[in-house]
Amino acid sequence: MSKDLKFLVVDDFSTMRRIIKNLLNDLGYANVTEADDGQSALPLLKAGDFDFLVTDWNMPGMPGLELLKQVRADARLAKLPVLMLTAEAKREQIIEAAQAGVSGYVIKPFTAATLKEKIDKILQTRDSAA
Amino acid sequence: MSTASPVMSVMLEGEVVNASPSRAQLQTLVATLSEALKSGDEAALLAGLDGLVRHREQALFEQLRRLTGDLQAALERFSVDSRLVDLAEKEVPDAHHRLAHVLELTDQAAHRTMDLVERCGPLAERTARAVGELREPWQLFRERRIEPAQFRQLLAKLDGFLLDAGSDMEAVRANLSEVLLAQGYQDLSGQIIRSVMTLVTELEAALVNLVRLSRNEHAAVATQDSQRGCGPAVPGIDAGPAVADQQDVDALLSGLGM
Repeated sequence: MSKDLKFLVVDDFSTMRRIIKNLLNDLGYANVTEADDGQSALPLLKAGDFDFLVTDWNMPGMPGLELLKQVRADARLAKLPVLMLTAEAKREQIIEAAQAGVSGYVIKPFTAATLKEKIDKILQTRDSAA
Repeated sequence: MSTASPVMSVMLEGEVVNASPSRAQLQTLVATLSEALKSGDEAALLAGLDGLVRHREQALFEQLRRLTGDLQAALERFSVDSRLVDLAEKEVPDAHHRLAHVLELTDQAAHRTMDLVERCGPLAERTARAVGELREPWQLFRERRIEPAQFRQLLAKLDGFLLDAGSDMEAVRANLSEVLLAQGYQDLSGQIIRSVMTLVTELEAALVNLVRLSRNEHAAVATQDSQRGCGPAVPGIDAGPAVADQQDVDALLSGLGM
């Protein structure tokens, strides 16, 4: 599996971004960019050629669910794999995210193994669909 | 001042309320008085006048009692108001700054911890790699199959390893004790959070008082916007249908065909 994928990590807490970035680096994904909410992420996504989006839900400015909806509504980004990495654990929220087209959902606190498992699964699904 | 008008209206209302039931009484009193005047009965005249005055006093006391009650309520409301103003103007923004400081403290501590952990990683890796490199020549040495040149190499490697491992592990130990120290943020942020909790309790009491005084029974029920996200569930507060762990999430999503 290709490890030179370009990741965008969106979380309002710099510590969480750093944790995710380090875990992605450990998994062999060295090309990781950060953004602190949906508002700053969206222009990056539209301008850059990102292969994978990892986003939190609860953020000031534009929350993750809105970012997901905007990504799915953009013809060029519609197929981008989006992993929601969040503390939001209400059943209705998870269903809402699924309906909005999320590719995977990991709740915080999470383990490195869970993150790897979900990314691998999403990439497998993407590759088999391609 | 806004409190003046309700008091006035109650006063006027009081006069109206007091006037109507006593009209018949008054008529009786006036009739008795004019009777006494006509007949020249002085005792009856004085008794009648007394009755009139007593009647007037009663109405006055009744009004005064109401006025005092209203004044007391207005003063109570005013003191709640001024405490609320104080809370809203000074202590809540203060609490805001305090909590911002907690955020900063936790952020700094987390980054400091991660810095130190990241510094330990390469040191542990170097030690592990050196051990790996020593294993094979050491095995040959133990089996007495080592060549003199290999043996000299082994000795040099061992010298280097003892030196590096010693200083590396000393650095790891120092980093670990700094990691321990970095956890001191919990004490500091805990104290600040506790003071904000006290403020929130007081604010709650002031608001409850205000609601009681204004007798607003149609208080709006706060609704949370799940679209924006609610943050981590807090045990004992955030009840409702939430998943317990990642397995629950996976089960829910696979139920949705994902």
